[in-house]
This record gives sequence, structure tokens and C-alpha cells, in this order.
Amino acid sequence: MADLSIKIGHTTFKNPIFVASGTFGYGTDNPELVDVSNIGAIVTKSITLNPREGNPPPRIVETPSGMINSIGLANIGVEKYISELLPIYEVMDTPIIMNIAGSSITEYIDVMKKVEAVSSNIVGYEINISCPNVKEGGMEFGVDCEMTEKLTRELRNFTDRLLIMKLSPNVTDITAIAKSSENGGADAVSAINTVVGMSIDHKTKKSNIYTTYGGLSGPAIKPVGLACVHKVFNAVKIPIIGIGGMVSSHDVIEYILAGSCAVQIGTANYRDPGIAEKILNDLNDYLDEQNLNSITSLIGAVKTYV
Amino acid sequence: MKIEQAIVLRNEQIAHGIWRMSLVAPDVASAYVGPGQFISLLTDDSWDHLVRRPMSIAKINEDEVDIIYKIFGDVTDHFTKKCPGDSMNILGPLGNVFTDYNSEFAEPILIGGGVGLAPILNLYDACEKAVMIIGARSADEHFLNHKPDNSVYLTTDDGTAGIEGNVLTALKNMNLSENTILFACGPEPMLIAIQNYADEYNIRAQLSVESYMGCGVGLCQGCVIERQNGQVMKHSYHEKYSLVCLDGPVYECDEIIFG
Repeated sequence: MADLSIKIGHTTFKNPIFVASGTFGYGTDNPELVDVSNIGAIVTKSITLNPREGNPPPRIVETPSGMINSIGLANIGVEKYISELLPIYEVMDTPIIMNIAGSSITEYIDVMKKVEAVSSNIVGYEINISCPNVKEGGMEFGVDCEMTEKLTRELRNFTDRLLIMKLSPNVTDITAIAKSSENGGADAVSAINTVVGMSIDHKTKKSNIYTTYGGLSGPAIKPVGLACVHKVFNAVKIPIIGIGGMVSSHDVIEYILAGSCAVQIGTANYRDPGIAEKILNDLNDYLDEQNLNSITSLIGAVKTYV
Repeated sequence: MKIEQAIVLRNEQIAHGIWRMSLVAPDVASAYVGPGQFISLLTDDSWDHLVRRPMSIAKINEDEVDIIYKIFGDVTDHFTKKCPGDSMNILGPLGNVFTDYNSEFAEPILIGGGVGLAPILNLYDACEKAVMIIGARSADEHFLNHKPDNSVYLTTDDGTAGIEGNVLTALKNMNLSENTILFACGPEPMLIAIQNYADEYNIRAQLSVESYMGCGVGLCQGCVIERQNGQVMKHSYHEKYSLVCLDGPVYECDEIIFG
């Protein structure tokens, strides 16, 4: 059996199949449907300084091979995360990556400082600078190189844990933001967050999402994600965690070939919360069939024409 | 809750645009708690339609699970093509249940509108005694008979079967007591009318609400309904919204606010 372990920064993960923020709650739900001990890492739902109610409904709509969501960063806030969830994570086998969202550099820092001030076994932070659905979702950082670098650098001062910047595809040049993250001292980038989308009901003439625009996810955005990962792979040296519409081990292999060293399964969890484990098993079978000992040789190994 | 490859036993049209499907689903059936619960179905193995469709359980009989569905779009149209022996990927049972319908002195009145009839039929089977009102636009959308002697009342908007009018027309003609409890499922305007009526006459009512769901198990946080102040429930982050998939789909009528 192949060795699926991977290293990002100084942290080793037992396998490269993670679950994406916002698609797996806080990793403590649905024990009947999923054995989380087999998942490479759980990226928990975005946490902000204060609890957030989230957006009014409708928040979700299916689109061709995808869906649009506009949840609005509904979350319990950092205090509850610390008091209620960190103790649970202490006794879980699965590495936890905490996703943080904020509306100012100070807010991101305040959240991180609070978590750093207590003892916990979380392995790192994914910084959401790319939520398209709320004003406070950090998008002003995710589209601006200077702001991204500044935020990354500031946060770097407060943690030795993994620091991952989550990139938005809703920018002119994703490689520029990736470089800013690298320059600021990020250990890795994750790409991509959802793609801005809209859905209209032609019968009622109404928007299907309360906030008009939402984040498109699912297989519909896989080609967008692959292109972003490949571009970023050619632009930076830090590892890339691929995200965007993966539903099978074949999709995962494509993301690795594009340049990912690990991946996050997102929307597919909604359909089957146990799917990451199945994808992991299939990935193992694939590597065995290919006589490969690890995924390392596949990272960024896509054969292109030019 | 389980994910199971259920086998289609029957799938037939029972009224205009309304179908009933019976599935053999021993895992889901064995975890069933009571009327009000639902299952969530996939169209097929492809990811063209990736979101599961929640459907109320209309009946559970040993390892059989029945749903009643209305042809509404591509997905439900696809459901009608399923033949006996085909498999359907289902997740369930999900959600909470109607309560107190068999309590001592309880006088339940069950109200179903349109395809919202499914959980109401299921509840009717579980009630030791109950009055049931079923509303539709026209006679061809009904698949039961108007039998006032048996406490089953049909209504139609066009008067082609049962009482002319809607379910409220029928309800307003009934003798209500302090022990009356309304149990309702149907289109939102119907539920709002019942909520207002229950409030006006100080009657207890439990409403089963519909919501667009991304997952059915609390992960996506998509299926929220606004709650009335001070009603903190288990599955939601704060006080404003409740997750229909976990806290619901059945709510006391004074717990929620329709959009």
C-alpha cells in the first residue's frame, strides 16, 4: 500500500484528503455517516470574532452540476469555539485546521490570538480572505495583493502553526494574490473558494438566493479550480491545497497533477458525508494499480502541450 | 440516520401530477421514529443534480418506506421513470416528529394541502382518532374520497370534490375545543393561514415546513427558517434561525416566522 502521508510546512498529515470549510460543520456531527479518523484533516467552518446569524433564506439552490450557497458565515464565534470545540478536538484523531474569517486585520488577529492563548491541538489556520457572500467575509483582502501580504505577515507573527491563505477565483490574477501570501510568510495556499454566481427562477422572475449573488461550488467549478491551481503552482513555491468540485479519486488525481499536494472535498460532503473516506480508499487503489509508492511524483506532473 | 440503496417496489401515479413510490429500505425503516420524519433522495449516480431532494415519509410498513411526490421539475420527472427493481440512493430517516397526537383528551385535526399531504397521511395512520382535511385545487388532484362520516374531508378550490374552498373553509366549520391540536403540512400560504388562525383562536398547532436543503444533516446550514424570539433550539448557532433539517421540519406554530 502506498504511503499517502504528506508534509505542509512542518506538519505531516497521514493522507492528502481533507474536508473543506463550511461543508463539514465543526467535524463533530454525523458520527453515524462518517468515521472522521480516516480523514487527512478537517477544516472547520469559518469562525469570526463574534457569533454570526448568517444570511436570511433562501441560502441554497442547485444549479447544473453544482449549487450556489450564501450562508453568510453563520458561526458560533471564537469564544464558543474555544470553550466547546477545542476540548472535543483534543480527543479526536483527526488534525483540525481552523478557518478564520474577519472584516479587518484586527479581527483576524484577535481571533487567532484568542486561540493561541489557550492550549489546543489544532494544527493550523486557514484564513478565509475570499468569502463572496458577506461584506465582512474578507474579500477586500482576497482581491488586493498589498492587503493580502499585510494580513499574512501580521498573522504570521502570532502563530507557529500552519498558516494557509484561502484564495478566491473571483480575481483578475490569482497568482498575484498567491505570491503575496507567499511573501507574507504563509506556509501554503488553498484554492479555490466558491465562484460568484447567480440563479434566477424564470417562472417567478425572482432570484433564488436572498443575497442575489452566492458562491457556486460542485463539479461545475472543477475546471476553474484546476486552472487556478495550475497557474498558482507555476507561480509560487509553497504547497497548494486544491479545492473545487471534487467528487471522486479521479478528480483528486487531476488536482494533484495540476499542482496540489493535498485536496479538500467540499460540496460532495453534502450528498454523502462519508465520501472523503471512499475517495481515499479509491486513491489508494489507484496508486497500487499504478505501482506508485506516493503521490509526490504526481504533483504538478500534468503533461501540457505548451 | 443511514444512507441506503433502496429498491423501488412500486412507483405509480395516484392523482394528476402526483405519484407514490414504495421503497424497500430496511436500514432507514428500522431507524424510523415517527410521523413528520423525512428521507432525502438522489436522482441517480450522476452529479448533474447533486443536491438530494427531501421528501416526507408517507408510510412505513416493516421495511417499506413510501413517499408521495409531485412532478415539479427535472428531478421529480426523473423519479417517475423509476421502475420496480431499480435502486434509489436515500438518506434517512431525518428530522423530528409530530407530538402529543395520541395524548389523553387530545382532539387532533390533521390538515394537508397539495403534496404536503404525505406526512399528514402518515400521521393519520398513527392517530388513534383524528379528523383529516385535505385540500387541492381540483378533484383530479385528490386520490382519497370525501367521507365526512369517517372524519375525512376533502376541499377543492373549484368545488369539483368535497367542500368548495380551501382547508381553512373546512376548518372554520368545525367545532374546536381547548383540546384541539392542529397538525398541518402544505404550501406556505396555507401554513401561514393556519398559523394566523391558531393564533387568533388560541389553538395549539404543529406545522411541518418545507425548506430548500443542501444536505439534510446540518452541514450546509442552508435550510434555515426564522424563529420567534426566545426560542433557542438545539441545532442552530443563535436565536434568529433554526435549521429545518435538524430542529424541524415540525414546529409549534408560535416558534417560527415565515419569510
